[in-house]
Amino acid sequence: MTTLNSRERVLKLFAGEEVDRPPCFSGMGNVTTEGLKSLNQKFAATHLDAKMMAAAAASTYKLFGFEGAVAPFDLCIEAEAMGCEINVYAHSEDLLYPTIKKKLIHNEAEMEIAIPSDITTRGRVPLMVEAIKLMKKDIGAEAVVGSYVLGPFTLAGQVMELNDLLKLSFKKPDKIGKLLDQLTDVIIQVAGQYEKAGVDFITVREMGATSDVLSPRVFKSLILPYLQKIFAKIKVPSVIHICGKTNDIVPSMADSGAKAISVDQKNDVAETRKKLGPKALVFGNYDPYNVLVAGTPDQVRQTIRKCMDDGVSAVWPGCDIWPTVPAENFKTMMDEVRKYRR
Amino acid sequence: MATEEKKKELLAKLKNAVISYDEDTSKEAAQEALDAGMEANDAIFNGLVSGMVEVGRMFEAQEYFVPELLMCADALYAGLDILKPHVKQLDLGVKGSVVIGTVEGDVHDIGKNIVKMMFDVAGFTVYDLGRDVPLDKFVAEQLRTDSDLVCLSAMMTTTMTGMKKVIDDLRAKNPNVKIMIGGAPVSQDVADKYGADGYAKDATNALKDAINMIASLKKMKDEVEAKKAK
Repeated sequence: MTTLNSRERVLKLFAGEEVDRPPCFSGMGNVTTEGLKSLNQKFAATHLDAKMMAAAAASTYKLFGFEGAVAPFDLCIEAEAMGCEINVYAHSEDLLYPTIKKKLIHNEAEMEIAIPSDITTRGRVPLMVEAIKLMKKDIGAEAVVGSYVLGPFTLAGQVMELNDLLKLSFKKPDKIGKLLDQLTDVIIQVAGQYEKAGVDFITVREMGATSDVLSPRVFKSLILPYLQKIFAKIKVPSVIHICGKTNDIVPSMADSGAKAISVDQKNDVAETRKKLGPKALVFGNYDPYNVLVAGTPDQVRQTIRKCMDDGVSAVWPGCDIWPTVPAENFKTMMDEVRKYRR
Repeated sequence: MATEEKKKELLAKLKNAVISYDEDTSKEAAQEALDAGMEANDAIFNGLVSGMVEVGRMFEAQEYFVPELLMCADALYAGLDILKPHVKQLDLGVKGSVVIGTVEGDVHDIGKNIVKMMFDVAGFTVYDLGRDVPLDKFVAEQLRTDSDLVCLSAMMTTTMTGMKKVIDDLRAKNPNVKIMIGGAPVSQDVADKYGADGYAKDATNALKDAINMIASLKKMKDEVEAKKAK
């Protein structure tokens, strides 16, 4: 087999073709402090500038050979476009990710909302489009460029009080269903913009629907239909990511219409592999903080090897790459993946 | 005075109201307990809390999930609000005031609220700073209220690291303060490394820990009462 570059490897994998080894990339945030340092950028400013965002995302490929670049780094893009206020913690020198400062829905009575018709030109959606184009131009021939959107339930948790969302999912699923339907439309529109800008793949992050929080039954009846609607509209390769307990819902995740499922360290991948069969694309499942940041290089090596032995299709973190990952650990991970042969 | 039988019936009603997240019945049963001359403490611990213990078990067994847990908590509060003004203060040798909040950068507060609920039940004075709390504020509030327990919550790895700063600061200003940390990314390892006195890994564990705490308070209460009876 001729040597594949990172982009070819990932795209072949998504297409269901044979690859020389699992690629090592992510569909979630992959900014590192090493990268920010090399660019002389501040974390808080990086979320608000397309050039800085694109450069920070691409730096992980350039510094470590991570096989893709993904922007944004925070989870507020869609909610902000819908009219929520965000906080980027500009005052802080710590690594604080932007959060929603002001929600749209504060109680059950406010659940009737109208989605702005110009959603794709609001908030930072245009900035994201520019960042994607810049990443493509920079490293798009060698590595994949991706982005992510939130799943409808997780997005609902951004625009309304989580407490209300969870209780109403139980007490008044019809009302929540109506909101999820509206949010589904927002997500499809935003993902469509990213596709137009040229992303190679899109991840839908639906971590709010983890079995740590919600029963597999509610996931299936209330949330899965909207995920299916979203994946039916995404044309580029797609990934569904849910963290936490997922062993009971992997069949539903596979049913969502996503090309690949992404799980974290709480998932028993060997079991998932058995459940879904040899062809299913399962991405995962190392712990990006306790292993990649806090572990020794030896622990990194063992964990990454175990992921591959358990049968992941791509070596992929359970959540965002945590920025303070030591260079040595990152290099160890890449090294372990590169020398792996099934 | 209520007969033993009536008492039993009311305690079961309170317990079941919590388990079946029925706020109205919880209120009704709490009022009935008071009208029947029951001790508010008895109704809280052997009715409402015993319901919450069962809810904890069901949560653990994955019969209940977070939405149910939140609704059960509402039912508990509905009864507690009626009973609380009638609680006779017991001297447990515990000072019972606590500062609690979710650290800056983190807007998740469900785990924190569950722990808070158990402190409320136990009769602690709770200074709830809410969520996304600037780190300095924990220290300032501890000093202002002279609380002997501070509970820090972080739902995400991204904010967990901020807890170390608060702990160091608190220790420097008040070496005797007890510090509990909690949240999904927190482990015993992290608690040790950060120098916290205790930790709760997630909502289940927070609930379990809080229940253990209540159980030991209950034991102390029983001991106090046993002494009184002598």
